[in-house]
Amino acid sequence: MESAEAPQISGVRSGSSGTCAAEIAESLRFEEEIQSLIVHPNFEASNGSSFTALLGLSGNQAAELLHEHGLTAAASSPAGAAEMWRLRLGGDRAAGELRLPLGCSPTFPSDAAIVESAARFSVFASEESPTSSSGGGISPRLKVEQLDPDSPPSVPVLPSPKTKRSPAKRKGTCEKSKARGTAKKIKRTEEKKDPTKATATEEDTADEKLPYVHVRARRGQATDSHSLAERARREKINARMKLLQELVPGCSKITGTALVLDEIINHVQSLQRQVEFLSMRLAAVNPCIDLSFLDHILSTQCEPGAGAANGREALAWNPAPWSPDSAIAGEDVRRLLLPRQYQVWHLDLLGPQQSSMAWERDATPHHNALPFPGTGTGTSLFGYDSTNSGNLSSDSVALNSELTNPIAKRLLEFY
Amino acid sequence: MYRRSFKDTRSSLGSPNPNFSKPMVALRFLRALSLVRRSGLGACSPSYRARGIRRAAYACMAASAGPRRAWSRALLRKIRRRPGRGLRRPRAVIWRHRPVGGGDRLEVALRRLVPGGGCMEYCRLLEEAADYVKCLAMQVRLMQTIVDSASHV
Repeated sequence: MESAEAPQISGVRSGSSGTCAAEIAESLRFEEEIQSLIVHPNFEASNGSSFTALLGLSGNQAAELLHEHGLTAAASSPAGAAEMWRLRLGGDRAAGELRLPLGCSPTFPSDAAIVESAARFSVFASEESPTSSSGGGISPRLKVEQLDPDSPPSVPVLPSPKTKRSPAKRKGTCEKSKARGTAKKIKRTEEKKDPTKATATEEDTADEKLPYVHVRARRGQATDSHSLAERARREKINARMKLLQELVPGCSKITGTALVLDEIINHVQSLQRQVEFLSMRLAAVNPCIDLSFLDHILSTQCEPGAGAANGREALAWNPAPWSPDSAIAGEDVRRLLLPRQYQVWHLDLLGPQQSSMAWERDATPHHNALPFPGTGTGTSLFGYDSTNSGNLSSDSVALNSELTNPIAKRLLEFY
Repeated sequence: MYRRSFKDTRSSLGSPNPNFSKPMVALRFLRALSLVRRSGLGACSPSYRARGIRRAAYACMAASAGPRRAWSRALLRKIRRRPGRGLRRPRAVIWRHRPVGGGDRLEVALRRLVPGGGCMEYCRLLEEAADYVKCLAMQVRLMQTIVDSASHV
């Protein structure tokens, strides 16, 4: 993609000779477009040596950059660009007062390349307009490039068509959005690049095939698709990490990803060891466990009135085992699929009104009200989280038999 | 013999979607326990039974977590696969999206711990790990309750 553009641009470049005045005029127009595309007027300390940082600086600082590095390399055109900046400056601030933000200083050497290319924008602006207006219709595929200082020949060439194209696309406004789709696509196609290491970026936005996605870049941060995708990805990862931190006890106070990860791993290992240990204990104690109440309940015959309410209760159940096409709609289907004894189980578990009352009467005192969002009284042996209690009368015999069982009691406390 | 119990557990009780269905896990697990007990009482040695119970625990956990979770699918696959499959025939499964690099030893360790973590992206891995930790904690609490109640009586 970039190589396809390069020969075209180089051809254009060879034909450019441009007088200074024409350059300035063009660059002024160009500059205005760029200015309109700058997102945040408030300037945060730019950590990235990006072109947007360049533009994000209020114009004087950018001019200072240009001026300091003495871009006389390409003789007239950078000087012309510097002139352009100066001219704009005249209205804004005191001409002589140029100060650079602190954050920019370490990035100067790389900025030289940016600024050079920025200077060339003005040169190519005029030449590019006819091509780019047609180029506005080109596939809005995101052109990502990284202006590395070690690839100078390609560097100055690439930004120009993109910059010219973007105003045509964007109509001078940047909206905030997360270009997730493209981000993912681009992530896959390109290798990982650290946006903070990006020496220069374009003021381009992440665009999808259709429609255009406007992304708002934070001030001083890179705006090319790579960086955006990276940033989105990093934010996702950070969010997940925070979630994990909350889950694992004692992880909230730890700072630093490595330690947190370490703690999480330790926690998972300890949980697995606990499962192993408990299963050994269960195996040892297993002959003594009286699980007959389960069989009793499971084998109870369901009532005639049960069938009607099963559809409603079965909402919480997906009776078919994990079929991918688990769009099993229809209550009758559920009723058919669900074996009868489990339907009874559902009924018992649901805790219809009177049996739940009986349940509470007999319940042990330290068994407090369990959250049971359907009925106010709350409880059956296994309270559902999301079901609607049917108004049916099931036999409370089965329920009462559970009451005597210690395991059942303890399970109640468990919930 | 234990396989049968797992299959019964899985097929009969379905799988609700929400993850916080503690009653479901308890149900399954108890049922699995009873099945384990019924199938060959004692089964030669407590350690053998312990292993079976552990597998039952993981199976119940995975079954109640739902098929939407990658770890639960991988876990069930692992449980089902092991008995009787000595030779590793070439899997027809497309090993999708094997993650790049393995330099970070923490990440590698996490991948090994979480079932099915070998071929997930990093953020997906974190997501699955969170869910896995939640379910594991629930399962541990459940088993603790059962053991406590059984040993107190």
